[in-house]
Amino acid sequence: MASLRRVIVHRANIQNTAVVTLVLATCLSSSAFAESKKEYRFTVGPNAIISVDTQYGSISVKPGSGDQVLVTATLQSDNVEVDQQQNGDRIEIASHLLQGASEQTGRVDYEVLIPPDATLNLHSSTGPLSAEGLRGDLTLEGADAVVNVHNVENGHVHVRTMRGPITLTDVRNGHVEIASISGDIHLKSVTGPLVQASSGRGKIFYNGDFGSGGDYKFTTHTGDIEAVAPADVSADFRAHSVLGRVHADFPLQAKHSRFPVEAGRSFVGTTGKAASEVVLRSFSGKIRLKQR
Amino acid sequence: MKCSDVERVLSELVDGASDGTLPIDVEAHVKSCPDCSDLVSDLKLIASEARQLAATEEPAPRVWVRIAAELRAEGLIVDSATRDSASVRPVVVSVSVPASPRWRWSAFWLAPVAAAVLAAGAYVISHKPAPQVAKQQAPPSVVTSPAQVTPAPQVASLPAAPQQVAKNSARPAGGNVNGTGNENGNSKRPAVEAAVEPEPSAEDQQFLSVVSTLGPSTRATYENQLKAVNADIQETQAYVDRNPRDVDARQHLMDAYQQKALLYQIALDRIQ
Repeated sequence: MASLRRVIVHRANIQNTAVVTLVLATCLSSSAFAESKKEYRFTVGPNAIISVDTQYGSISVKPGSGDQVLVTATLQSDNVEVDQQQNGDRIEIASHLLQGASEQTGRVDYEVLIPPDATLNLHSSTGPLSAEGLRGDLTLEGADAVVNVHNVENGHVHVRTMRGPITLTDVRNGHVEIASISGDIHLKSVTGPLVQASSGRGKIFYNGDFGSGGDYKFTTHTGDIEAVAPADVSADFRAHSVLGRVHADFPLQAKHSRFPVEAGRSFVGTTGKAASEVVLRSFSGKIRLKQR
Repeated sequence: MKCSDVERVLSELVDGASDGTLPIDVEAHVKSCPDCSDLVSDLKLIASEARQLAATEEPAPRVWVRIAAELRAEGLIVDSATRDSASVRPVVVSVSVPASPRWRWSAFWLAPVAAAVLAAGAYVISHKPAPQVAKQQAPPSVVTSPAQVTPAPQVASLPAAPQQVAKNSARPAGGNVNGTGNENGNSKRPAVEAAVEPEPSAEDQQFLSVVSTLGPSTRATYENQLKAVNADIQETQAYVDRNPRDVDARQHLMDAYQQKALLYQIALDRIQ
C-alpha cells in the first residue's frame, strides 16, 4: 500500500513538473518571439534616396503623401533591431541582427510610404520585395526574395535575385535591367528604351507590345523564353537558341540579316515599322514568339 | 582590450609575423567576446582549408600582385616595407579596417574573386584558340600559354592565372570536352558531359567555406546554385570547344561566367 502511494505521489510530481515546464517554456518562447511594431517618420526634399535593408523579412513600398517618408517596421523578436539614419535627403533603414538571431527571430517586415519621385534601394535575402506606384529609380535585390514591381514609370528598374521569381507589371518608359540565376522572370506590359532580362535556369515570359522604340533583350541559359505580343506590334525580331527549338507564331516579314538563320533554331523578321528591336537568346531553352 | 586590437594581432598572426600563439590578454578577450571568437574560428577554418589546397591550384604570383594592387588602390591594404609584394595573399591581407564588421573583414575577398571569375570568362572566351590548334601546339600536361598560339604582344602580357581559374571552375577533372558532341549542335547532350560534375575550384571551396557560416541550409542552397552555374559553364565551354566559330555560343559562355559572378556578389551582399 505504501509503495502504491509512493508511485502515485511520484506520478503526480512528474505531472506537476511537466505542467510547470510547459508553462515556463510557453512564457519564455512568447517573450522571445514577442512581435513589436515601430514607426519612423522623416521629411525629405525632392528626389530623396531611400534604402531599406533587411536580412530576413518583407519590404513593401508604396507612394505616400508629399514630402513624408513613413516606415512601419514589424519586428518578430528582441533579437533584432532597426537602425535608421537620415543625412539630408538620404535615408537608410537597416535591420540589425543581434546575437542568436535566426531567420524567424531576426525577421523584420517593413511597410514604407515614400514620395513617388524618390530613388529606392531595397534588399532582403528572403523577401518578398514589392514596389508600386513610383516614378524614381528602383533597385531591388534578394537571394530568395520574390520580387514584384507594379505600375512604375520613367525610372531605372534594376532587379537581382538568386532564385526568387521576379514579376514586373505596367512599367512604362523604364530602363529595366533584371538578372536572376535561376528565378523565373515575368514581364507584363513592360516598355521603355531598354528592357533587358537574363536568367540562367529560370524562364522568361513577356506579354506586351514592345513599346514604340526600345531595345528588348531576353537571355537564358537553359530556361525557355516566351513572348506574346499583339498583332499590330512594331518591332524587329531576332531569336536564336544554340541547342533549343525556336518557333514564331507571328507573321514576320523576312529581312536580310548578317546573322545566320538556321531553321528551327533561329528566326529573324519584322512587323509593322520595326520601331523596337527584340532579341531573344537562349543556349538550350526553347524560344517562342506568339501572337495575342 | 578592444576588438580592433584583437583584429590587429590576428592580422599579424595570419601574416606570419608572430609565432602563431595568441597573447594571453588577446586569448582572454576572445573567450569573452563572441564576435572575436567567431572571427578566430573563421580564420582557423580558412587557414586549414587553405593548407589543403594543392599547390598546382594556386594561381600565379602575378595574380596576387594584381589583386593586391587593386586592393591597395582601394585603400584596403597598406604597404609594408618589409614585405615582398608577391607574398600578399587576398584572404590574409593585412587588412586595416578595424571598424568594419566581422563578416566584411573575413569575406571581402569575394569581390575581387567575382571580378576575377568574370575576367577569366572574358579572357577564355576572347583568347581561346581553336581546339585543333591547341592540340597541335600544346603538350597535354602543360598549361597552354596564349603566347604560344597567338603571338600578339598584348596577349602575351596577360596573366596565365585566369585561364587556370577558368579551367578549375568550369571543366571536369580529366573530362573530355573535345570532339565528343554533335557538330551540328544537336540538343541531345553527350552522355559524358551530363555525367561528369565539375570539380570545385579553390575559389569555389573558399566561397563555400565562407557561405557555410550562414548555416547548413544556406550553404546547401549556394552549393546547388554553384554546381548548376558551373555545369552551365562546363556545358557551354564544351560546345564552344567543338564550335569555336559560334559567336553566339561564346556570348552564352560569357553570360554563364556573369551568372557565376552574380552568385558571388549575392553571397557577398548577404555576408556583409
